[in-house]
Amino acid sequence: MQVINGIRRSGVGVRPEQTIREAATIMERSGVGALAVVDGEHLVGLITDRDLVRRGMARNVPYDARIDSLMSTPVVTIDAQADLHDAFALFRTHGNRRLAVVQEGRFVGMITVDDLLINLAADLENLSRPVMAEALFGHHDSPLPATE
Amino acid sequence: MHASIGDRIVIHGHRIGEPDRDCEVLEVRGPDGGPPYLVRWGDSGHESLFFPGPDASVQHFEPTLG
Repeated sequence: MQVINGIRRSGVGVRPEQTIREAATIMERSGVGALAVVDGEHLVGLITDRDLVRRGMARNVPYDARIDSLMSTPVVTIDAQADLHDAFALFRTHGNRRLAVVQEGRFVGMITVDDLLINLAADLENLSRPVMAEALFGHHDSPLPATE
Repeated sequence: MHASIGDRIVIHGHRIGEPDRDCEVLEVRGPDGGPPYLVRWGDSGHESLFFPGPDASVQHFEPTLG
């Protein structure tokens, strides 16, 4: 499966000059916990709800400060056409819970550890269904070849 | 996904009991009505870029006469 097909939620982006207050409101309204910071067509950073608390509130950064003062950069990205297993490797290497997905260098969405776990659980369920059926309802033999 | 200015995008709740969320398309930044979209969130007036995923759908509004 390609990474683009593993994304389960929409992505939301803000401009670097938008304020911390705006970013927090947009997170709340859109229901996302992380925003891409996009300057023109370029992804320049990521900001999470955790960043708002730890880098902002805990350090008394004013709410009208620019959001790029709190963002994480550089951003770990993965190509939209990459195999989902490449995302596993990046999560393992970088210890992040989110990766920015890019297509031809442009941000298109976010893939999370949760997305991978949900996809994996669905695959396991599909795989286990025939095994469960066999355990519950007995063995299914193929019919013998027809003989004259 | 294809959207036009004035369309409403609905993001469906991910958990049981989580409400849908919506925003209005202010600008289409991609080619041929494609994403990203500059959107405004409800009555907050705040604007952001929106990159639709499988949880989002578009409600088109046809122009009405009269």
